[in-house]
Amino acid sequence: MNDKNSQKIVDIIQNWARKHSIWVLAYGTGCGAIEIPPTMTSRYDAERLGVRGAATPRQADVLLITGYLTVKTMKRVIRVYEQMQDPKYVIGFGSCTINGGMYYDSYNTIKVLDKYLPVDVYINGCMPRPEAVLSGFAQLQKRIAEGRANGAQQYKDNLEWYRANQKKIIPNWIMPDYNW
Amino acid sequence: MMKELKENIVKRIKANFADAAEKNDFKDNRLDFSVKRQTIPSILFYLKDEMGFIHLSHISCVDWLEEGELEVVFIVWSPKDKIKVFVRTRLDRDNPVMDNVDMIWRQANTYEREMREMFGVQFTGLVAPDEFLLEDWQGPPPFRRDFDTAAYAEKTFWHRPGREDAQDVRETIANRDGEEIPDFAKKYSR
Amino acid sequence: MDILGAVVTFLVAFVVGMTYGGLSRKITARVQNRKGPPWYQNFIDAFKLGFKKSAIHHGVMHHLGGAFLMVSSVMTLMIVPVLSHNNWFPNLNFQGDLIFLLYIMTFGPLGMALGAGQTGNPNSAIGVTRGLSQMVGFEIPWVLALVALMIQYHTTSITGLMAAQAHSGTWLMFSSPFAFIAAVMAMLGMFRYSPFDIVGAPTELASGPVSENGGKYLFVMMSSGSVFTFAKLTLYVDLFMGGADNLLILLVKTFALYLIPMLYGMTTPRYRTEQAVRWFWGWPSFFGLLAILQAVIF
Repeated sequence: MNDKNSQKIVDIIQNWARKHSIWVLAYGTGCGAIEIPPTMTSRYDAERLGVRGAATPRQADVLLITGYLTVKTMKRVIRVYEQMQDPKYVIGFGSCTINGGMYYDSYNTIKVLDKYLPVDVYINGCMPRPEAVLSGFAQLQKRIAEGRANGAQQYKDNLEWYRANQKKIIPNWIMPDYNW
Repeated sequence: MMKELKENIVKRIKANFADAAEKNDFKDNRLDFSVKRQTIPSILFYLKDEMGFIHLSHISCVDWLEEGELEVVFIVWSPKDKIKVFVRTRLDRDNPVMDNVDMIWRQANTYEREMREMFGVQFTGLVAPDEFLLEDWQGPPPFRRDFDTAAYAEKTFWHRPGREDAQDVRETIANRDGEEIPDFAKKYSR
Repeated sequence: MDILGAVVTFLVAFVVGMTYGGLSRKITARVQNRKGPPWYQNFIDAFKLGFKKSAIHHGVMHHLGGAFLMVSSVMTLMIVPVLSHNNWFPNLNFQGDLIFLLYIMTFGPLGMALGAGQTGNPNSAIGVTRGLSQMVGFEIPWVLALVALMIQYHTTSITGLMAAQAHSGTWLMFSSPFAFIAAVMAMLGMFRYSPFDIVGAPTELASGPVSENGGKYLFVMMSSGSVFTFAKLTLYVDLFMGGADNLLILLVKTFALYLIPMLYGMTTPRYRTEQAVRWFWGWPSFFGLLAILQAVIF
């Protein structure tokens, strides 16, 4: 059997399973988290895509950074992100993660999320409506199916670069080193 | 009815505290007193115990940059008479020191912590941990008016290029794609 | 031949248990006026968890916690006779296996409790104590019902009770009704749906005992949960509803029985642990005592 072809079939099955069952960590980091309950409940049902809430980082696939991310929250979010298991995705929610949004001149929030965590999909809006959230999940599904959603691998490969960026804005770095 | 109550309160306060300057030209149920910094604990005790203003609504701080002073405002409320009283003091901006009042109301502890961190007002006798809202903050107190947050944000964080402020979405898209904004939408654009 | 039969039993239990879980999610969604996930959603969840690339564990006992749960489910499955008079499914029953079943059904959660204890997560510790306290609650009516059955028909093996049903022609559901009522009320606690789902509640407790398990460990727990579901439902059908001759009748009977905790759970709020235990020692135990009285007198 040709090894390249058989590897491709296994990848297709894996990506199909990962695409149709996405577990979102129930952690709202900013004010955009108010759009998550309407998306998950009866009217704009997200469970028909397989999207479900997960309780702990150990069980979750997707970390939703909803809205602005303060420096104090970012320490905790980095720790939560490193506790999740591969393959994991990050969705940047709202315009505050893209270029600072409404808080572009605040002394306490970060402006561009891409420098500190590897982001797969951005959903813009302030806040995005549930239809926009569902279309963001559909875009994530498309990226998973194509095999391009490998933010976790990117984080592992460029760990020094990400750490340098994180340490520049968090002066008191007391985080443990997690084993991968 | 309300007017008599307010006149009564003004008379009693002025009788007991000589340096209280009051402002009584509000039409609704508000009263305003300005006192010196040293009389704040005694006037608050008097208002709470003897005149029935048992509820502390808020403690806030105003930054008078041009006059070089910080002003601390206490807002107390009486549920029986339904009257709000504002009690104000002025502090020197370079060395703002106040007395701690959390033996009168315990929630004053939280308000004083916020003012200590955000405005730099020192409270003598305040027992509370140092950090409250900000973590590992080494700059000047951020809520003062001479702290330029935009410049600080520009210096500390990386910004995504290509963002200019105060842009209208319709104009941007019209310029980019060569379209025309219709007449009925023009009166809402800037 | 018995080994092949054991593997076939395990596969049937896995598939049927997962399908019932998916159907439960679909029916819950329809009751809440929305389209739910497809009925095979639990399979996709299980495969996704199995395809995770890293498995983080906290020591040997935590690694083995899921294995204990799976071992208990498989042992329960092997004892329960799935289809009567069929060569595909093995018949490993012996005299006194009903009492053996009572013991091994509690072995799994204890093993998982040891595994959860090694992680050091306080949520796991609280979830484990709550789960075991609730188990003390529902074991009382369950044991009372089974003891009533054992006294009435003078046998302690499951095949003996099935033979008694075939001999007299009526189901045990009708000839010892109080035992059936007490056992169904205990079943509500066994499945851990509402109102007794405080053990693994995601928002209350960060999902309790399984809160440090992710990826492949969670896959083992989900599959063992579904196998255990099928084993319990088949046990109830064998004891009270006369067993089944072919797979279709078994599926119809087990689904009819599975609707009881699912539909009841959709409409009730959650009990706290002490309220749940107090309820179990109230009416269900009363019916269990009535069952023993009926077995002794009649």
